[in-house]
Amino acid sequence: MPPRSLPNWILFAALSTASAQQYDILIKGGRVIDPANQIDGVRDVAIQGTTIARVAPDIPATQARKVINASGRLVTPGLIDLHFHAYGYSGAIFPDDTALPTGTTTVVDAGGAGFRTYTDFKKTIINTAQTRVLVLLNIAGQGMIGSASEDNVEDMRPAETAAVIRANRDAIVGIKVAHFGKPGWDALKRAVEAGRLADVPVMVDDKIFTNSGRTSREKLLDVMRPGDMHTHMYNDRQVEIVSRFNGKVHEYARQARVRGVLFDLGHGGGSFLWPVAAAAARDGFFPDTISTDLHQSSIMMQQADMPNCMSKMMVLGMSLEEAVRRSTMIPAKVIKRLPEIGTLGEGKVADIAVLAMREGVFALKDSWGKKQLASKKLENVLTIRAGNLVWDAEGRGFPEWTTAGKYEVIP
Amino acid sequence: MNRAVCLVLALAPAQAQIYDVVIKNGHVIDPANGRNGPMDVAISAHKIAKVAPGIPARNARTVVEAGGYYVTPGLIDIHVHYDSYGASLNINPDHNSLRFGVTTAVDAGSSGADNFEKFRREVIGPSRTRVLAWLNIVAAGMYGSKVEDDPAQMDAAKATAMVNKHKDVIVGIKTAHYQPADWTAVDNAVKAASATGTVCMVDFHPKPGRGYPDLILKHMRPGDIHTHFYGRLTPQLDDAGKIQPYMLEARKRGVLFDVGHGAGSFWFRIAAPAIQQGFLPDTISTDLHKSSVMLPNATMINVMSKLLNLGMSIEQIVERSTVNPAKAIRRPALGTLREGADADIAVIQLERGQFAFLDSGHGRLTADKRLRCALTMRDGRIVWDEDGLSTGDWQHTGPYSNFK
Repeated sequence: MPPRSLPNWILFAALSTASAQQYDILIKGGRVIDPANQIDGVRDVAIQGTTIARVAPDIPATQARKVINASGRLVTPGLIDLHFHAYGYSGAIFPDDTALPTGTTTVVDAGGAGFRTYTDFKKTIINTAQTRVLVLLNIAGQGMIGSASEDNVEDMRPAETAAVIRANRDAIVGIKVAHFGKPGWDALKRAVEAGRLADVPVMVDDKIFTNSGRTSREKLLDVMRPGDMHTHMYNDRQVEIVSRFNGKVHEYARQARVRGVLFDLGHGGGSFLWPVAAAAARDGFFPDTISTDLHQSSIMMQQADMPNCMSKMMVLGMSLEEAVRRSTMIPAKVIKRLPEIGTLGEGKVADIAVLAMREGVFALKDSWGKKQLASKKLENVLTIRAGNLVWDAEGRGFPEWTTAGKYEVIP
Repeated sequence: MNRAVCLVLALAPAQAQIYDVVIKNGHVIDPANGRNGPMDVAISAHKIAKVAPGIPARNARTVVEAGGYYVTPGLIDIHVHYDSYGASLNINPDHNSLRFGVTTAVDAGSSGADNFEKFRREVIGPSRTRVLAWLNIVAAGMYGSKVEDDPAQMDAAKATAMVNKHKDVIVGIKTAHYQPADWTAVDNAVKAASATGTVCMVDFHPKPGRGYPDLILKHMRPGDIHTHFYGRLTPQLDDAGKIQPYMLEARKRGVLFDVGHGAGSFWFRIAAPAIQQGFLPDTISTDLHKSSVMLPNATMINVMSKLLNLGMSIEQIVERSTVNPAKAIRRPALGTLREGADADIAVIQLERGQFAFLDSGHGRLTADKRLRCALTMRDGRIVWDEDGLSTGDWQHTGPYSNFK
């Protein structure tokens, strides 16, 4: 060999060592489903610091400090749960140990706090959670602490509520009205007024009962605005989407959708019934956004976490791609956070879920505990939140203990 | 219809006991009662009514079809951190216990004499899980080194009074995280445990002049529990990886060794050789908190799975997750399927396939088995049923009340 070639090789080796530090994490070989960027195919995803650096086929493994083999797995933007309970409500749960293991990197607390209690929510939960916690501020000043607050029309103050929203747009994305147990439209109208003042959407969970003087038709067609969200769409107490007489989707529900009113799953402990969901699905009436209404009760028998709710939509006929779209891009869009989140766009924050599509026989249970058998089920196996690997149920990001030497905690 | 037939029809229901639930065709492992085999379990009025082969399904309001599953007493995790509203690392009790087969969880010193009553009110009271507690010898509880290293916080008389007031839920005294190189924390904790006739659980950080052998051979009493014993803080193996003789001597004395997995205390390179040499845990526990529940994934069923893949048998594991912890905390009514006992039950599947587990250092153990909790019953009520074993298909279970 000519002696001159040796320094070239050394130089090359030195360069490749330098480029090995280029990415912190590389997720290799997974099927990337990123509806916001119209990507559905095998890609590699490179992460640098807290952001997504590159999404492309065949990024060399040598360019990353940590390589995660994701072949046979789905790689999606971190899931966004539009209806979660992290504060205020008696069934509230900590987000980190409940959301992150399910691939959910953003939760939207649905009305736990009102304008009087938001500061405490921010201090105790929002600022301490690793999960991104966004907020639908309850129109009731004290938040979701029972009828003393939620029926107290006097303390539903659009001006004060809008003021707190304007001062906290980093976290507050809309308004929630829920559990109003009195007749009339006071609660919903005040929520909509606050939404108008602060220019944010309202999420509505509003009981329709015999003496309420409220009807589903009026609620969807007259009171709610385009962009407002009706949550709990597949129960039969908040609104009637499917006629209980002929099992067909009501015309007013279709008209509301044309108007731009949004329909959110909001599974919860009482709001997902197989007969309602199956009838709606037969008529092609699916949720715009998939969400859990996760709390201490719905996380148990119903297992209403995000991958479980997505699996339920799929057994009803929704495609995987649509289920991902309605759990990432669409929820980001309806709270006006796209393209900040809900995307794998380069330069965006690295919130990522790696999901497995399990095959077998699975029982998917509704709010009354009745099951629908399914042959497929989504399960989250790995979660990255702001560039940090926080969940790894299949050990894809770490070395085998027998070959790793006398390791300290491996990052 | 003649009168005799009517009489028979009227009597028949009275003769055949109707159970609330019968768990059919499972493999019962109930070490407290020496059961290990195919058996049915009947539950009535929140209690275990009968454990026997061939209990007829028609005698049950609800039938759980458990063929292919193990049926065990509800698991007992004697080391968790469930102070939802207080200490910063803590997590909610129910979903972190019941989903993984744990029906009794013992909070390991999140609170002390100054804040235990708040803990009882806010955590023990509302939880469906049976939450018990080790009272921290530190009166302020597990709130950081400022209080946990302060000998003035460790008043045995004060702890004693609080234990005596709440003996129904406090099982003993916890000491943890103490850094000064003296024995104040351990000795005061043992003193309070002795004064109350309870057990002491010790998390120990050895210091020069305050060594581990002295802890387990001199300062702890028989029945006291060293937790985190597969951790890196204490020298349980010699340089050749052999179990130290003082470990065997302490075990002979009656000192108990508890897993307490946590985010820093379970290392495959320690647990694997120890198990290979037959030095098994007396009790399996999680030290579950905000951090250990994430990457190490130290839920009870997962810690059991890790030990299974390191060579322990399912029977050894169930024994150390039910009857052993019940005895260790002196609650012999728990951890058993004895007829008349509270109906706390776990239905567990041993799955075969390709799995992986991480230890506290995130080293990976590639595994071919996994334990998964399919169903949990707490106090006679089914609270978790991942496989839908107790429930019907919605299309065949009659009309929904509000919807035709």
